[in-house]
Amino acid sequence: MIKIAHIERTPASLDPPDPTSAPGHLGPSSQVRADEIAIRWRPSRHARRLLTLAAGGLLLAVVFRRPELAGLAAPALLLLGAGRATRGGLPGRLTVRVGLTSTRIYEGEPAAVDVVVSGAGETAGVAAEAGVPGTLGAAGGSSGARFDARWALEPGRGVEPGSATAVNGQAARFTFAIERWGKRKLGTVTLTLHDHWRLAEGRVALALPAIDCYPAPALQRTEVVLSKLPNRLGEHRARVPGDGTEFTGVREYVPGDRQRAINWAASTRLGRLQVNTFAAERSQDVVLLVDATSDVGEPGRSALDLGLRGASGAARAYLAARDRVGVISYQWGGAHWLAPSLGRRQFYRIVDALLQSDTGFARGAVFSRLPRAALPPGALVVAFSPLLDGRFVESLRDMRERGFSLIVVDVLNAEPPRRRAFADSAARRIWTLEQDAIRFSLRELGVPVVAWDGVTPLDLPLAPYTRRPLVTRR
Amino acid sequence: MTAIDDAAAAAPGAAATARGSLLSVAGPRLAAVLLGAACVAWSAAPPGHGGWPEVALIVAIIAVTAGGLRLALADVPEPDDAYLLSGWMRSWLNFLALLRTLAWEEIAVAAVLWLQVQHPGRPWPTAALGAGLTAYLLITHIAETGADPARMLRRHAKLLAIGACLLALAAGFAMIPAATPGAGASLLRVLAAAAVIAAAALVIPA
Repeated sequence: MIKIAHIERTPASLDPPDPTSAPGHLGPSSQVRADEIAIRWRPSRHARRLLTLAAGGLLLAVVFRRPELAGLAAPALLLLGAGRATRGGLPGRLTVRVGLTSTRIYEGEPAAVDVVVSGAGETAGVAAEAGVPGTLGAAGGSSGARFDARWALEPGRGVEPGSATAVNGQAARFTFAIERWGKRKLGTVTLTLHDHWRLAEGRVALALPAIDCYPAPALQRTEVVLSKLPNRLGEHRARVPGDGTEFTGVREYVPGDRQRAINWAASTRLGRLQVNTFAAERSQDVVLLVDATSDVGEPGRSALDLGLRGASGAARAYLAARDRVGVISYQWGGAHWLAPSLGRRQFYRIVDALLQSDTGFARGAVFSRLPRAALPPGALVVAFSPLLDGRFVESLRDMRERGFSLIVVDVLNAEPPRRRAFADSAARRIWTLEQDAIRFSLRELGVPVVAWDGVTPLDLPLAPYTRRPLVTRR
Repeated sequence: MTAIDDAAAAAPGAAATARGSLLSVAGPRLAAVLLGAACVAWSAAPPGHGGWPEVALIVAIIAVTAGGLRLALADVPEPDDAYLLSGWMRSWLNFLALLRTLAWEEIAVAAVLWLQVQHPGRPWPTAALGAGLTAYLLITHIAETGADPARMLRRHAKLLAIGACLLALAAGFAMIPAATPGAGASLLRVLAAAAVIAAAALVIPA
C-alpha cells in the first residue's frame, strides 16, 4: 500500500455544480506526485491452473502408461514454457500517478480520479481515455516485453462510483459522486499487471486521498435585513441618510453639501437651495447557528443534513451581499465557532467549520458563554435546528432576551413512528403538543420560527421577513 | 467487469451499447461454465457405476458449478463492516468467502482427469478433452480478469495451434499398439517425468 506524497490543490468553485454539465466534462485533474513503486511478480492463478493440468496429465500418463494423457498436457506446457522464456523482461519498478479533478466537491457533484502507470524513469503522460488497451514498455529491460494493466476501484464508504469500477489500460479515469457531506476516504485502487502470456502477475494497492464533500447549499436569493444596521459600508439600505444610491428625499442646503447633490427643480420652486438625500448603505453581521446535537430523520435528509445545507446556502447568500458572516455549531452544550468575516474565502472557512459537526461532542467553547467575537452585538442570528434539545431552546430564549435579532429555521422532518397501541399514540400526541408549545413560546418572545423541508428554496419560508427590514423590539 | 463507456451510454443507441456491454461481461462467464460442463460430460461418458468414478463425477460437477458461481458473483461487494449482521447475511458472506478462496478450477481439472482415466484408452477423445480443458482455463482467466478475448486469443493463437498439433500427435502415437512393455514405454515414462520437473521449474519463481 502506498500513500500519495503530496497533493497540489486547485481552487474549487464557490458556485454549486451546474446540473446540466455532462459527467464527461470534468476537466483536468490536480497534479499529484507519486513515488516509484516496486512490483513483485508472482505466478498468476492462470499459471497455477495450467501447471495443475500439465502436472496432472503427465503424472497420470506415467502412472497409467497412457501417452495420450501426456499429450493432453502439451498445450499447457507450451504456454508455461513461453511465459518462463519472457519472464526476464519484467520491470521491477513502475511509476504510478494519481490525480483528482477536485479535492473539494459538493454533495452529488461528479468528480473523478485519474490513475496512470508508466515505466520507471519514463515521464508520466496525460491520462489517456479509459478503456484503451494499454501496453507498458519494460523499464530498463532489454527484451521489450509488453504488459497489460488493469485498474480496479474499491470505493470507500459513502462514495458512489459513477463509472465502471474496473478498467483495462495504462490510464484510467474513475468517476464518482458523494451523496452525503463529510470528509470521505475515496477508497483504494488496485493495479494488476499481467505479462504477455498472462502467467505472471504483479499487484499494487494504492490508497486514494481523502476528499472534502461539502453540503449542497440551499437556494437562497433574498436576505433578511435588520432595521438597525451597524455603521459599516455595505449593500443594504439603511434608514439613515448617507452616500448610497437610493433617493430618500430633499432637504435644505447647508454649507458643506456637495454641489452635485443640489436639486435645481426643487430649489427653483422653493426659492432656496435644496439637495437630494440618499439612504446609507450598510452591511450587517450575520451569525449562522447550527444545532448539530439532534440528527434525527432519514440519513441524507436528516435534521443535521438540512441544517448544514441551509446554513451553507444562507452563508453564500449573505456573503454575496457583502455581509459579514460567522457560524456557531452547537453540540451537546459545547460549540465550535467562527467569527464573522467577509469574502469568498470565508465561505470555505464556514463550510470547513460545519464539516466538523460530524465529529460528535464539541470540546470548544461553552455555548452559554460565547465571546463577543463569536456573537457580535447587533448581529442577525439565523438558527437551523429541530428544537429537540431543551438546552438549545433555552439558549435561544436567553439570546432573545439579551436583545439579539433571531430567526429560527425549523428543520425537523421526522416524527415518532405511528403505532396502534394506545400508549404509543398518546405518547406521540404528547410529543407533538410539546413541540408545538416550544415553537409557540419562541414566537411569543418575538422569535420567528419558520419551517423548511429542505427541498424548496429558503426564500419561501423566509419571504415574510425578507420583504421589509426585521425589527427587533427589546 | 469490463469497462463501460459512459459517453457511449449517453448517446443514441444506448440500449444496444448496454446490451453489448452486458454480453461482453456475461459472455465469457457463461462460456466458462459451458466449457467446464462439457469437459465433465465428455470425460464422464459413458458413466460408471459407483466407487471412485462416481465420487470424481460429483466432485467435478460441484467444482465447475462453484467456479461458475465465483465468476458470476465476482462483482458482488462485501459490506464495509461485519458488525451486527444477521445470520443470513453471515452465512451469505461465508459462502462468498468459500467460493473465492478455494481453487475450484484446479479441483475440476483434477476430477475430470481422474474421470478420464477411469475409461479404457481413448486417444482421440482424450485429445479433445485436452483442448476442452485448455479452453476452459483460458476462458476462465478471461472472465475473471476482464481481458479482451480477441486480443488475448490472437496472442496465444500460434502456441495454441502448436499445442493442438501436439495433442493430435500424442493421440496418434497412442493409437500405435505397443508390442511389449519395453525400452520404449520406459523411455516415455522417463520423458514424462522429466517434463513434469521441467514444467515445475518453469513456473516456480526463482
